[in-house]
Amino acid sequence: MNSHFLAWIVLIPLISSLFLGLMHLYSIKIRKIPDFVFTTLALFAPMASFVLGVLFCIGLYEGASEYIYEPYTWLKVNGYIISMGFLGDRLSIFMTIFVTFIGSMIHIYASGYMKGDGGYGKFFSYFNLFMASMLLLVLANSPLIMFIGWEGVGLCSYLLISFYFTDPLNVVAGNKAFIVNRIGDFGFIIGLVTMFFYVGKLGFDYYALEEYVSLVPIPVLTFIGVALFVGAMGKSAQIPLYVWLPDAMAGPTPVSALIHAATMVTAGVYMVARFHFLYDLIPDVGVFIAYIGAFSALFAAIIAMRQTDIKKILAYSTISQLGYMFIAVGLGGYSTGLFHVFTHAFFKALLFMGAGAVIIALHHEQNIFKMGGLRKKIPLVYITMLTATLAISGIPPFSGFFSKDEILLKAYLHQEYLIYIIGLFTATLTAYYMFRLFFVTFEGKNYSDKKVGELSWSMKAPLVILAFGATFAGFVGLPEVFGAHNLIDSWLEAWSGPALHVEHVQEISLMLISVVAGLIGIGIAYVKFYKYDFSKEIKISGVVYNKFYIDEAYDYVFVKGLQKLSVFISVVVDDGIIDKIVMSISSGFINLGRRVGRMQSANTRAYAFFMLVGISSFSLYLILKLG
Amino acid sequence: MIEASFMSYISLSILLFSIGIIGLISRKNIFIIYMSIELMLNAINLMLVTLSKYFSSMDGQIIAMMVMAIAASEAAVFLSLIVAMFRLKHSLNIDDYNALKQKGTL
Amino acid sequence: MGIGLLTLIIFLPLVVSFVLLILPVGMKVTRNVAFATTVVVFLLSLSIFFRFRLTDYMQFREFHPWITTYGIYYSLGVDGFSMIILMLITTLIPLGYLFLWKTKKAKGYWASMLLIQTGVTGALLSLDMILFYFFWESMLLPVFMIIGIYGTGNRIFSTLKITIYTIMGSLFMLVSILYLGVAFYNEFGVWSFQLSDLVQITTLTNLQRTLLFFGFMIAFAIKIPIFPFHTWLMQTYSNSPTGGVFILSSIMAKLGIYGIVRFVLPLFPHQYVEFAPYFVGLGVFGLLYFGIAALMQQNIKKMFAYSSASHLSFITAGIFSLNIYGMTGAAFLIVAHAMATGGLFLLNGTIEHDLGIRSISGLGGIAKKAPFLTLAFALMLLCIVGLPGTNGFVSELLIVFGLFQFNHYVGVISALTVLVAASFMFWLFQRAILVGTDNDVSKMKDLDIKEMVGIFSLAVVIFAMGIYPHWFLYKIEPTITHYLVDILKVGVGS
Repeated sequence: MNSHFLAWIVLIPLISSLFLGLMHLYSIKIRKIPDFVFTTLALFAPMASFVLGVLFCIGLYEGASEYIYEPYTWLKVNGYIISMGFLGDRLSIFMTIFVTFIGSMIHIYASGYMKGDGGYGKFFSYFNLFMASMLLLVLANSPLIMFIGWEGVGLCSYLLISFYFTDPLNVVAGNKAFIVNRIGDFGFIIGLVTMFFYVGKLGFDYYALEEYVSLVPIPVLTFIGVALFVGAMGKSAQIPLYVWLPDAMAGPTPVSALIHAATMVTAGVYMVARFHFLYDLIPDVGVFIAYIGAFSALFAAIIAMRQTDIKKILAYSTISQLGYMFIAVGLGGYSTGLFHVFTHAFFKALLFMGAGAVIIALHHEQNIFKMGGLRKKIPLVYITMLTATLAISGIPPFSGFFSKDEILLKAYLHQEYLIYIIGLFTATLTAYYMFRLFFVTFEGKNYSDKKVGELSWSMKAPLVILAFGATFAGFVGLPEVFGAHNLIDSWLEAWSGPALHVEHVQEISLMLISVVAGLIGIGIAYVKFYKYDFSKEIKISGVVYNKFYIDEAYDYVFVKGLQKLSVFISVVVDDGIIDKIVMSISSGFINLGRRVGRMQSANTRAYAFFMLVGISSFSLYLILKLG
Repeated sequence: MIEASFMSYISLSILLFSIGIIGLISRKNIFIIYMSIELMLNAINLMLVTLSKYFSSMDGQIIAMMVMAIAASEAAVFLSLIVAMFRLKHSLNIDDYNALKQKGTL
Repeated sequence: MGIGLLTLIIFLPLVVSFVLLILPVGMKVTRNVAFATTVVVFLLSLSIFFRFRLTDYMQFREFHPWITTYGIYYSLGVDGFSMIILMLITTLIPLGYLFLWKTKKAKGYWASMLLIQTGVTGALLSLDMILFYFFWESMLLPVFMIIGIYGTGNRIFSTLKITIYTIMGSLFMLVSILYLGVAFYNEFGVWSFQLSDLVQITTLTNLQRTLLFFGFMIAFAIKIPIFPFHTWLMQTYSNSPTGGVFILSSIMAKLGIYGIVRFVLPLFPHQYVEFAPYFVGLGVFGLLYFGIAALMQQNIKKMFAYSSASHLSFITAGIFSLNIYGMTGAAFLIVAHAMATGGLFLLNGTIEHDLGIRSISGLGGIAKKAPFLTLAFALMLLCIVGLPGTNGFVSELLIVFGLFQFNHYVGVISALTVLVAASFMFWLFQRAILVGTDNDVSKMKDLDIKEMVGIFSLAVVIFAMGIYPHWFLYKIEPTITHYLVDILKVGVGS
């Protein structure tokens, strides 16, 4: 496998995106291009990248240690050299494969979901641009190039959230996503610059960094680690920067599935795993990350319990699941975290696509309490959703069970019992709120008499494929207690962290505990919601429903505060003080002129007198001076 | 016959010049102002000629001749201007000609 | 001997402008000839770009006696730093013309635009202080006319304010120049105002040098503008016609920065280093101050004015960061910001031309009517917020890194630019372009073919410089290394 093709993994979606964009503009301005042209071009890109990714994977499997391709020098100032470089090692190819696979599925799904939309071409142009940015993020060989992709996905997220920009709410949500992410980027840039300052001269690709990062003093390293993690907080929606993700659900559902569930939001996890050499040196920061993850998981799960919007529930569950991933990577189990990234991508994408199918079928109804009884009407969606819900609830043998359990095991073995208990409790909550969603949506009486719309095959097929994925994806990381070989851990050997010894009995019993935890959640949900009575008016309120008023607090403190400061600066300081001073100088001159101007009295005799005085005094001066 | 001394010429010249200045400043009639100016010119002429004699140099007399010539031509311009001004305002009072007075704000 | 290339670049617009004014031709002919002239000038400067050698010396020197009694020479030259700005000016102006094409203005407008070009390129290429001052002031004159005659709103007040304010600043510089000339005469016995001669003065005391340093700095600080000399900017921008504000924002402000690097740095290296912390502080403060102020502006041009001021403060901080990263970053940001902000002003000019609305709250719903305009607007905006892939990112990264080297805390604070710029720009984009209003925007037309050529060429350059910055950076690096190592003697930074 020639390493040049690494660049093509990124370039194919990029070129496709450019073409789609131009064709879209052509289509709306000059002559309509039929949708299938767009579809073909759009679907080609992620699939081609997927094939390339698989080929690289085979190459790695056959013994190549990594692929590096550096086409040109991106930046070179005074000995600091940054190459535009691509790195295909086990981690990045792993990410590439699953991103392109999920991406292809969601592309297919979106071709059905967006059918007939006026912005069909534009949508896929953005979608492919997102794929290109995400793949650049994954395949970059230096943090700066990664940052290009990092910002690129943020931009695409903005563009796609505010896709229907005529509705102010969408644009506001897009802005919120972009700006909150920028707070994270601020941290990321500072981290990069600090790292660059200390070891940049020795090379700035991952290998050089891995080799020289130990030269950085530990306090600085801690600072870098935290700063970079602030970037991850933004991108992966962790406390306190999670607020943008629920609002981001304003975008079309395929966007939520691809960007805000499966791929982009896991970039933070990927980043931490990428910098494992750095985080390995500062375990304290790792524990900090794990706690942030644990609290995000719990907090989001609590909020999710009281939400009514189907996509919002899923959004909070995404935050919660991302929290799990950060628990794992924070505790040094990078491959465990990535395993959860992997399984989560399947079942969460599936959940969103199922939700999208429900929303489409019910003509854009998103309140779960206005659904109900959909089991008979859309049975395929029902089955696939059930699979995904079981997976996220951690019920064996579905994929979520294995990855989540491994995370909890890691927490337990690291003797972070608080994290373990939070994780376990969150697992119960997860099962509860997911089955609440599931029962209310699919069981019970049909609340609305609306006719259920027909779903096209392009929406159904990816559901089925991903349902298989959600069921079986866990088997690639089957724990050894079942006599299997953990493929994920061995593939990502360099990222699997120190092996911790665990008794089989202990491991099995921990598994049983977490299964029970999940079942308890399901049980409560069953009791409360299986035969939910839709007839009575639902009025949900309270602190939890209002998301603890965090959004309002942020709005009041940051947005309103800044706006007030802005007005203060431009009105009080600029106009009131600085410009006043400037203008008072000029009006001082004007006043002086006015005063002197009074001498111009039009009294000719006075002029003559002034002249006399002037000439006399000048003559007197001359006489006295010259003698 | 009393020989007029050098100082008496100078004194006369200064006297005439002062009368001219006082006339220039205190009178309002344009003609009188004009006459005051002429008086001052002639005072200067007298001074020039006196000094010329005193220093035995012809320079002063030459300048005096030039001043007289210029004064003559200036008189022509001045008188015609006065006629034009009178036509404009029917007044020979200098205070009526105040178009350049600063009025109001800048 | 023939006419030098630089002379041709400077005076061709002037000659054409006079010829056009004298000949009884109409507005259309004037416009077309003016455009052709700028294209020719662009081609001439392109030949300079490609023939430019990678050294830190002045190249393409021209040297003719002018007022020999006082040692004033007509002396021109270009080095890496001025070359990149020359390219910027000569590229931007013809592209800007494509946008101004449909302005219904008299031929004086176009003639004035040509005169401005002579002024700015002359000031850029002069190596004699008196010659520089001559061009520096002469570029103000056409701006005075453009705003005063073709502006809107309280235009007379604005034009008087900018003119008097900047002339007042320039007078301090003139006094300083003359003082330097006299000092040179006293020391060497001959008159000279050559920059290369004046730097050799040794007799001045430290206090004298400091005073002269501030004499120069006031002139440039007003032009840039640096806090607190900025208040003329907002009023002038909001009352200027599109062409005027385009020139002011993307070219003239940059000449202030250029002046600091070209003259203040070699003349007063000691003071430059000594006062660098204050100017870095002022720059970073201005970055946040103007950035926050931009958030709540109601007038779109005023908002761009604050946003420009924010970035210009950032550039100022960069050139005072005393290392190669900050300074190359600043040079790069001069280009990036000139293109992006110039593009935004031009696009805003079309909006204003079609709709006649300048308040942000009155605008909206443009995206539906004019997708190309929206796309172009978005691309320029991405450059302003420093999105990777644009040249804005490269420059911001370098400046932040340079400032981080200068002082870690300052570096961290300056990184806030990514946040501030994104906030005000995206919020503006939301309110003015995307989301609809009650106002009727049916008169809004999309970009025509000329405007598209103009704006998308800019976009291509922006992205080319962001994707492959090395190809543009390596030409200026020797010059800036020369400034830092040989003149300031601070080294290029670790």
